[in-house]
Amino acid sequence: MTRLIVRAAALAVAAFVIVGPLASLVVWSLAERWTTGSAWPQRFGLKYWSRMLSGDFLEPLRLGIVIAVIVTVLALLMAVPLGYALARLSFPGRAAVLLAFLMPQAFPQLPVFASATREFYRWGLAGTVSGVVLVHLVGALVFAVWTMTAVFRAIDPALEEAAWNLGASTTRAFLGVALPLATPGVVASAVLVFLYSLDEFTGTLLVGAPFVTTLPVYMYTASQGYELQIASVTALVLMVPGAVLLLLLERFLKSEYLVFFGQL
Amino acid sequence: MLGLVFLWPLAASILASFTRAGQPTLANYETVWRLYLRDVFYTLGIAAAGTALTFAIAIPACGWLRARAFGPVEFLLKVPLFVPFVVVGHALRVFLGPWAPGLAGSWTGIAVALAWKHLGLAALLMLGAFRAIDDSYLEAARNFGAGTGRLTRDVLVPMAAPSIAVASVLIFSSMLASFSIPLMMGRGGGAQMLMIDVYYRFGQHGDFETAAALGVVGYVLAMGAALVYLRRLTR
Repeated sequence: MTRLIVRAAALAVAAFVIVGPLASLVVWSLAERWTTGSAWPQRFGLKYWSRMLSGDFLEPLRLGIVIAVIVTVLALLMAVPLGYALARLSFPGRAAVLLAFLMPQAFPQLPVFASATREFYRWGLAGTVSGVVLVHLVGALVFAVWTMTAVFRAIDPALEEAAWNLGASTTRAFLGVALPLATPGVVASAVLVFLYSLDEFTGTLLVGAPFVTTLPVYMYTASQGYELQIASVTALVLMVPGAVLLLLLERFLKSEYLVFFGQL
Repeated sequence: MLGLVFLWPLAASILASFTRAGQPTLANYETVWRLYLRDVFYTLGIAAAGTALTFAIAIPACGWLRARAFGPVEFLLKVPLFVPFVVVGHALRVFLGPWAPGLAGSWTGIAVALAWKHLGLAALLMLGAFRAIDDSYLEAARNFGAGTGRLTRDVLVPMAAPSIAVASVLIFSSMLASFSIPLMMGRGGGAQMLMIDVYYRFGQHGDFETAAALGVVGYVLAMGAALVYLRRLTR
């Protein structure tokens, strides 16, 4: 009995702390009128939701998805061979490569992105989609290379050795044996990278300004203009991919991938 | 690729922090010392308070979850992992705004928002560390009459101390370098977080050199944390 009460109390506290701020997004997105000093909105309605669906909200969403697809494809094209090499081959500088792919996680990103923006101005990349794709690739490659290295490490090298013994070349053994076995890992890595790109804010704000607006930047602009309802609707939309992933993939994703999520 | 978009700009910003109009100088650091010293301590204070708050919640919660597994609470604790930083900043702003006026843009509000976001990561790392501890230790402690509180304090925390240290370093340096949460929480007058200073110095004043020097201060602060992390990871 006491145990039941303790559990109910723990659940109530956790629900308030975690769900509270998220629920307030829902309240705000539905608040048509909410004056300062009032504890609760005076009028609820779907006005802002319908405005979003018809308005200028779809363009940042579309652009964000296009950028995320390009980033995902490019990142995996580079990370799959690199991850395989890091997992299987020992070459000089291997540790340095791994270290280089940790650095963006360890360093504050904003000053680096500010510096990149300045270089991009010189190269005509600032304010362009290509510039934003490049800046997203930094974080994307970190996620992709580390997950792909872990994935290939988990595959028994004996399987490829068997293929070599049967006369397959290294490339053939990679394409015919290792890569098919790594498919679930590649998919998981692609999902991570896609969501990272979709939610990326700092690099997009710096490099993309003022021409490339994705959803997080759109949300920031709305909240700066005190359009808190529009920002709240956007915030809820931005949470959808993560929520789907949380519900669907928690059992499939290893916790080491989850750690990467904390960096979003 | 990484070199072009990360390592090169990183090097360029370090170099720029020691030059002004092409001449090597320490003037940028003098500006940082003169104008931003308070913000450096403000940032360190918020990161320390945020880290302390994160673990003040995560350690008892994970100790309790280690002693008796309870799926729903564990699920809720991991939710912040999946909520992007910008969304957390906005959510906490509109959550605290109407019901706790004055808190949202203050240092407490920022520390609370940072702690909320990092609760997911802390819970993930703490639960992993606590679950790696063999059940026999827990049973032995229980046989001596220890409740969940004693169990957490005297068995789980000491045994998981290295993991807790790594997790707190990771979270502390992430908070130090946080940009989107303080940006979304709003900019009142007074002290600012370091990364906000970098952004405005670069974006509004167009003063890249001083922004770079502020950035280098951030690198150095994060570097100490990163060294601990790397040593643990490569062991």
